[in-house]
Amino acid sequence: MQFFGGSDISPSPPAPTAPGNNAHMIYVFNRNGVCLLYKEWNRPLHTLNAQQDHKLMFGLLFSLKSLTAKMDPTSAEKGNLGVPQLPGQGCSFHSFRTNTYKLSFMETPSGIKIILVTHPKTGDLRDFLKYIYNLYVEYVVKNPLYTPGTPVSCELFNTALDQYVRSIA
Amino acid sequence: MGREVSESCIDSLLTEMVSSYCNHFYANKPELAARRIEAIGYQVGHQLSERYTMERPRFSDHLEAIKFICKDFWSELFKKQIDNLKTNHRGTFVLQDNRFRWLARMSLDPTADDAVPQDPSDFAESKAAQAMSMYLYFPCGIIRGALSNLGIPCAVSADISNLPACSFVVRIKA
Repeated sequence: MQFFGGSDISPSPPAPTAPGNNAHMIYVFNRNGVCLLYKEWNRPLHTLNAQQDHKLMFGLLFSLKSLTAKMDPTSAEKGNLGVPQLPGQGCSFHSFRTNTYKLSFMETPSGIKIILVTHPKTGDLRDFLKYIYNLYVEYVVKNPLYTPGTPVSCELFNTALDQYVRSIA
Repeated sequence: MGREVSESCIDSLLTEMVSSYCNHFYANKPELAARRIEAIGYQVGHQLSERYTMERPRFSDHLEAIKFICKDFWSELFKKQIDNLKTNHRGTFVLQDNRFRWLARMSLDPTADDAVPQDPSDFAESKAAQAMSMYLYFPCGIIRGALSNLGIPCAVSADISNLPACSFVVRIKA
């Protein structure tokens, strides 16, 4: 049946418009759910207003992490749900892919969550997300003029992030 | 080799020092806070110059002492030398560092109302400049303390009209 056919039926994903323009958007949340950074490079469809969009994203990730930890067939004990762990330890999902985009996720022990939505053919972005976290620490956390817990608006961070994300293949 | 401290710790300590003096101890008196921070820098510079000139003979003149500050002293503190030294041969020296380590991570909110104005002549009075200049009193004090320990009383001020380069102006008292 055509139902389970190839990608001829569903709309094929939009090809990246220019080299170096693979990323669609990025979210950075802190431990309390405050959206520290939201930046979009390519997002034609806006279904919700910004507030609801951030809440939806945060809630989704919280539930997904919880689900993946509970459904883990390899571990015997429940572990600490809700406690952020080092990336790679415990059981946490790191990406999901649809036919039009891929969402990559990383959470740090301090509770900072970085979400990057890209073209579906993108490979594993965990190292990229670690580098973005490094940029965050260098230009935001160590910036004396930044108040922790508020949305990020440091020029150096924005330029460095923009340059780096555009270079993701 | 002496014991070492993490650089992130020093950065955080300096940030917190300026923040405490500006927001807690001398809450609405930025000039007093600035003077206190500069005095702390003076003590630190005094002691550091003692330590770093232990093996050396005395400096023959002011220019030699300033060159010591630009090369050895700056390398010990910031792992690089001063990039440019200018003088008017009448007691004023300008030490320019093209990428001052303690300012390298500071950046401002480009969308705020009191953001960095495009016109460079307005920059000096803007709130952005005032916020950043509080962090420069400490290095100015360090230079002043180091030079006064070498027998050269002077006044040091900082100039950030072209970031990320930072210039320290040393005026030797006659």
